Amino acid sequence: MGRKTGFIISKIAELLATLLVVSLLTFVAFSVIPGDTAQVILGPDASQAQLDALRAELGLDKPLIVQYLNWLGGLFTFNLGKSAAFGVPVASLIAERLPVTIGMSIIALIFVIVISYPLSVLSARRPGRALDQVFSVAGHILFAIPPFVLSLLSIIAASALFSGFRAGQYFRPEDNFPGFIGCLLLPSFCIALPKIAMTFKYMRSSIIEQNASEYVKNAKGHGLTDFRILIKHVLPNSNVSAITVISIVLSDILAGSLIVEQVFNLPGMGRLLLSGIARRDFPLLSGMVFYIAFITVLLYFAADVLGSIADPRIRLK
Amino acid sequence: MKNPSSKIFFTAGFILLGIVLGTFIVSLFWTPYDPSATDPASKLMAPSAMHLFGTDNFGRDTLSRVMDASKYTVFISFAGVAIALILGLLTGIPAGYYGGWTDRGIMLLSNSIMCFPGILLALVAVAVAGPSMYNVVWALGLVFAPTFARVCRIGTMELKQRDYIIHARVMGISSPRIMSVHILPNLLGSLLPATVIGLANMTLFESGMSYLGLGVQPPDASFGKLLADSQSYMTRAPWLVIFPSLMLILYILGLYFVSEGIRVRSQKGGN
Repeated sequence: MGRKTGFIISKIAELLATLLVVSLLTFVAFSVIPGDTAQVILGPDASQAQLDALRAELGLDKPLIVQYLNWLGGLFTFNLGKSAAFGVPVASLIAERLPVTIGMSIIALIFVIVISYPLSVLSARRPGRALDQVFSVAGHILFAIPPFVLSLLSIIAASALFSGFRAGQYFRPEDNFPGFIGCLLLPSFCIALPKIAMTFKYMRSSIIEQNASEYVKNAKGHGLTDFRILIKHVLPNSNVSAITVISIVLSDILAGSLIVEQVFNLPGMGRLLLSGIARRDFPLLSGMVFYIAFITVLLYFAADVLGSIADPRIRLK
Repeated sequence: MKNPSSKIFFTAGFILLGIVLGTFIVSLFWTPYDPSATDPASKLMAPSAMHLFGTDNFGRDTLSRVMDASKYTVFISFAGVAIALILGLLTGIPAGYYGGWTDRGIMLLSNSIMCFPGILLALVAVAVAGPSMYNVVWALGLVFAPTFARVCRIGTMELKQRDYIIHARVMGISSPRIMSVHILPNLLGSLLPATVIGLANMTLFESGMSYLGLGVQPPDASFGKLLADSQSYMTRAPWLVIFPSLMLILYILGLYFVSEGIRVRSQKGGN
């Protein structure tokens, strides 16, 4: 028990150190680049006095270290200041766009798990057979298609097949929840497909490796059914690689949704990021960059901890 | 085991790459039409003998546009990988060679860069520097540098233990010379898989960035930019989307196949 808590504590310390460096990098990057938030808010015609007054109000006249500490404090209280371009708090802008991005990520993850698990089990039963070959080749091809290209092609296919299909519809979750889920299905599937191929590849080789091991042969010798061996022994032992792959897949899904959103015209984080970029809205951009990196770091942290619970040997390394 | 041999992957990969790189080389000297020549009389024409890949909303020949776009896609992927490789060598070798605080500092920086989703970092970097082809190359080079730095660091740490390096140090050869003359050439082999995969991933990123309008700027166009331009016409003129997509997929798939071939071959060698 002591070793387990010790491992988790050391991981948490590592997580906090990483987050601190990430926040520092984000802040420094946005401080050294040219661009003045006060100028963006007031426009090109502002007088020097107005600019100075706004800078004082925003705290931009203080030394950089004080600005950093203020910003860091704001990160924890979700108070990131006002967006330069929209004039509303950054946190509320992000919160407004979260449902689409999170919804898409969750649906895509469900697709990945529900499709790649059965396929990899099926494929690993008889490696090298026709079915396995077909899946593997299909996996390679799907992996090579950028999700936004897949989205464009699927829109073309869908409008050729269904006359009523219209891309770019969106329903707000509070108005029409089934409609909201419905308009996220195709984009999520397009993000998920290459990741299904990736998860399939790792799961398949992990299951094949387990199947060749001594304990599976032993279990077979004992007369256990293949299904029981699979559920009780092989899958639990593949958990560690599954957890690692899924944490990578999730962070890729999140990043992929930034672009795919744009194809389907969905109001998520991706569009917010693009409008922030177009208007050089640094408070908004730095907040978004930090939170997206934060989620990524957290995912890898969760994978480490869950992996150590699934396989206690990891803690010893 | 029963896995396909590396030969199949190499053959398939080189055929696909041959198509794209062949198109790229031909486009340097010849395209069927001027890629930017507009012709109002032949707008949005379906593929025909005159225009094999059809025409776009300005009557430009899609085949010529696709051929021209291969130039930008291929150039950006190679230039970006070159920058990432050089940065990776410059940071990874000293980190592995000196160890200690040099190593810790460089690794902390590169691990932190890897915390940010690559595409986000590249987008913001380009947004800040202003969208242009060269800024895309720099941004992608920076984003991918940590991957190469890791490979260089591990390789250097391994080579450092070898007798010939220890002898070289005892003989009083300077560290920069050991790193550049004795370590660097021996690392190149282990960098090959990362380089090929890097080319594929750069292309994925670049196409996404160009699609969002933050990559190659008009009048130039890469495959991703062609896709962005044709989006409004895609249901009326699907060929505008299909042909650039196909070339993009062939290029990435070819690179993946070659890297898979390298992986399978090295595994066989190890056993």
